[in-house]
Amino acid sequence: MADVRLEGVKKRFGDVEIIKGVDLAVEDGRFCVFVGPSGCGKSTLLRLIAGLENVSEGRVTIGGRDMTSVPPANRGTAMVFQSYALYPHMTVAENISFGLRMAKAPKDEIERRVARAAGMLQLDHLLQRKPAQLSGGQRQRVAIGRAIVREPGVFLFDEPLSNLDASLRVQMRIEIGKLHQDLGATMIYVTHDQVEAMTLADQIVVLSAGRIEQVGSPLELYHRPRNLFVAKFIGSPTMNTLPVEVLGQDAGGLKLALPGGKPILLPQAPGLSGSTPTLGVRPEHLTLGEGRDATLNGKVRLTERLGSETMLYVDLGHEAEVVVRADGLSRVRPGDVVPVGLSKESCHVFDAGGNAVLNGALM
Amino acid sequence: MFPAPIQDKGPVIGTAYRVTLVVALIVWLLPLVGIGLTSIRSIDDLNQGNFWGWPEETRFAENYTGVFTQSPMARFLLNSILITVPAVGLAVALSAMAGYALAKYRFPGNLLLFAVFIAGNFVPFQILMIPVRDLFVNVVPLYDTILALVIFHMAFQTGFCTLFMRNFIRQIPDALIEAARVEGVSELRIFWHVVLPLVRPAMAALAVLVFTFVWNDFFWALVLVQSDEARPVTAGLQALRGTWTSAWQLLSAGAIIAALPPVAMFFLMQRHFIAGLTLGATKG
Amino acid sequence: MSSSATTPLVLSPPERREGWWHRHQAGLAPFLLLLPALVGFSIFVLWPIVDSLWLSLHDWDGVGEKRFIGLDNYRELMDDRVFWTSIVNNVWWLLAFMLAPAAGLAIALFLNQTVFGIRLVKSLFFFPFVISQVVVGLIFSWFFNPQFGLLNEMLGAVGLTGVSPLDSETGATFAIIVAGLWPQIAYCMILYLTGLAAMNPEVIEAARMDGARGWKLFWHAVLPQLRPATFIAVVVSVIGALRSFDLVAIMTAGGPYGSSSVLAYYMYEQTFLSVRYGYGAAIAAVLFLIMNVYIAFFLWRMLKREQA
Repeated sequence: MADVRLEGVKKRFGDVEIIKGVDLAVEDGRFCVFVGPSGCGKSTLLRLIAGLENVSEGRVTIGGRDMTSVPPANRGTAMVFQSYALYPHMTVAENISFGLRMAKAPKDEIERRVARAAGMLQLDHLLQRKPAQLSGGQRQRVAIGRAIVREPGVFLFDEPLSNLDASLRVQMRIEIGKLHQDLGATMIYVTHDQVEAMTLADQIVVLSAGRIEQVGSPLELYHRPRNLFVAKFIGSPTMNTLPVEVLGQDAGGLKLALPGGKPILLPQAPGLSGSTPTLGVRPEHLTLGEGRDATLNGKVRLTERLGSETMLYVDLGHEAEVVVRADGLSRVRPGDVVPVGLSKESCHVFDAGGNAVLNGALM
Repeated sequence: MFPAPIQDKGPVIGTAYRVTLVVALIVWLLPLVGIGLTSIRSIDDLNQGNFWGWPEETRFAENYTGVFTQSPMARFLLNSILITVPAVGLAVALSAMAGYALAKYRFPGNLLLFAVFIAGNFVPFQILMIPVRDLFVNVVPLYDTILALVIFHMAFQTGFCTLFMRNFIRQIPDALIEAARVEGVSELRIFWHVVLPLVRPAMAALAVLVFTFVWNDFFWALVLVQSDEARPVTAGLQALRGTWTSAWQLLSAGAIIAALPPVAMFFLMQRHFIAGLTLGATKG
Repeated sequence: MSSSATTPLVLSPPERREGWWHRHQAGLAPFLLLLPALVGFSIFVLWPIVDSLWLSLHDWDGVGEKRFIGLDNYRELMDDRVFWTSIVNNVWWLLAFMLAPAAGLAIALFLNQTVFGIRLVKSLFFFPFVISQVVVGLIFSWFFNPQFGLLNEMLGAVGLTGVSPLDSETGATFAIIVAGLWPQIAYCMILYLTGLAAMNPEVIEAARMDGARGWKLFWHAVLPQLRPATFIAVVVSVIGALRSFDLVAIMTAGGPYGSSSVLAYYMYEQTFLSVRYGYGAAIAAVLFLIMNVYIAFFLWRMLKREQA
């Protein structure tokens, strides 16, 4: 069993509190991704789980055992560093087997494990090379190999792909996903790239300023963000937000006035207080043309043609602008006046404090 | 590049530069050239005041072997080796350990200790002289032995060496050490297997530099040694000056012999030497 | 879970034999690593400083009883002619050594070309620093020798009368300083050569494109980049000027009549040759206190850089 639990974990560096109280449960075998903007504390949290830093308060439990004051080597974890941290003066084989050799493991056991890891990562022909002779992707795999031979209960990844170029990143992402399937071990992965998070994770933890904003599966976060921060962090391009006014709420639903005055009727949102909430709708859920529940008109300010799709920046007047995702073959040009359609299933409503009072009903 | 490459300024200036270079070099090294010449003259040459001219008879072999046969120079050289090599080896080893501790561990007083090593490196010898001598005369009777000089130099040079090693080891990425920690490697093992192999070039540079410092030391040889058995070549040369007051040809030869080892060391390990001297200098 | 082995090789907290050492080795390691160097350093550098300072308050001949006399040694120093001469000489050394960085820079600029053989030339220019000060002292003693020294030969060649600097009460110190400058300039030269090699060429190219030439280019684009080298060169030259001992001992033994003495040498002379240990310790204390000003300055700058 190698589940990871954090209870009331706080971390201070001097007077600054980096982690402000985190409770989290990662079940055995899950792929959990910590994601968030720079400085949110995701790497720190990972290092607390690894034992490279000590918690200021709280408990870290791994596999049912309290590991809060246990040194990193004894926690049953293995870490893959952002810079790979390969020993430059050792060969690939020596790098991978270093920990085992230091622990005086039997030679045949060492050989068996190294061969297995090398096989899984296609490093067989590189075992006698030194890190300086390897490409970025190969070094990445050596770092992972080093973690694999420890046969840990929990793998920890600290932004492992951020030093690779874009195409390599996609390839390695797939390999890591496959690794998880093959090994079935618990994996905790830190990244600032929400695409990596969405594609790899069973469970995403969104962090901001030392606190957890939301924990959930990728699709849960996508369709039911708990607050504006999560809503805008997940999904690319970012969710559109429009200031709206409450016209009234009754058994029939919530009636809002869109910028410019046009009304839209949404399901009831009992938690809503205040009269100036925010409406959120993703670019991919807006349509060019009459909308099922409301239509706004606007002037196209800018188009970004990606071939597979076109992003339209539409000025709706009244100081409101939205991004609409249109088809790649769309002929719309800057300056065109277009209708933008909304449907109530894809609308989210956030109150003045940024909390979601209504999520869309697509899923 | 600054100044602008001389090759760009035309052949005339280029040649003028090269000529000036050679002349400047000769002027700069004139004292050395002079003493080199003196060392191969005969005693008659000197007495006649023959100076600029090429010596009538060159007495190279005679003078240079004369140094060895007419003085304990061989013993002096041996002593220098016996003092310098162990002192350097130990100083570099000890300071690699201390430098690593200061570079990669956070603990209260880290910066203070570092400051102590730096400051201690700069103190004038004189403030240490009496107590150190007293230590070797009364507390541990090692006065007038090679061991006394080895121990002192080893201890003193750790100041400079620790400064040097600490700054170098700082440049090793923390992640390397953390990775080893996560792998369960004990701290001392990490030092031996991960850190040391990476600092070998710095240690070489340091060793070459400190070799020069210790070999060329004169003050402590004066203070801690008084007999020829333990005297290194620096104090030995000074002592010979008393014996050979006017035998300048022998004295010159002796000076050149004494100067050779650090010079040889320098030429063989130039890159290391300069790296050692300037590490941290250009980075401030 | 992982499909393989059952041997809990590397992930067994309580099962592994956790002796006291294992539990504490991470925390103890830095202290163990520091201990040997620190012990040696404390015994031979730190404690002696304190002991010398204490000794300076006593009267002692090295063998008999130490008699506590408070600040009497220092009071005596105030009236000591040679002491003041030494201090004045040290000031001369200090001023003269301030030429070393400038001269070193000039030579470094001169040598900063890529003509054939320049590496050998640079090494040869660096020579004087590598040889022992004893050898330097001997070389210059010979250089200044009134009968057959090079200096007199050169003067004679242009028709000037001979001089004997080392025998002159007014000239001896300066003769020794010249000898001292030889290796010191070589050291500064190497510092600057390295500094020049480490400069950012783009800054210079940008300045050239802006039309800066010669002196202007040097002042605005080159010199600022050499600041770290200059800092080290100045500090080392100051320390070197204040610490000078070997050359004085070899060339004049402080003479004639103590006129070329410096604090470092005077201390040695008083302690061993005049057998006045307490008095010597007081001289050493004065030297130490003077140097502390520069040591403190250097430390402050270095540590500021650390915080940055």
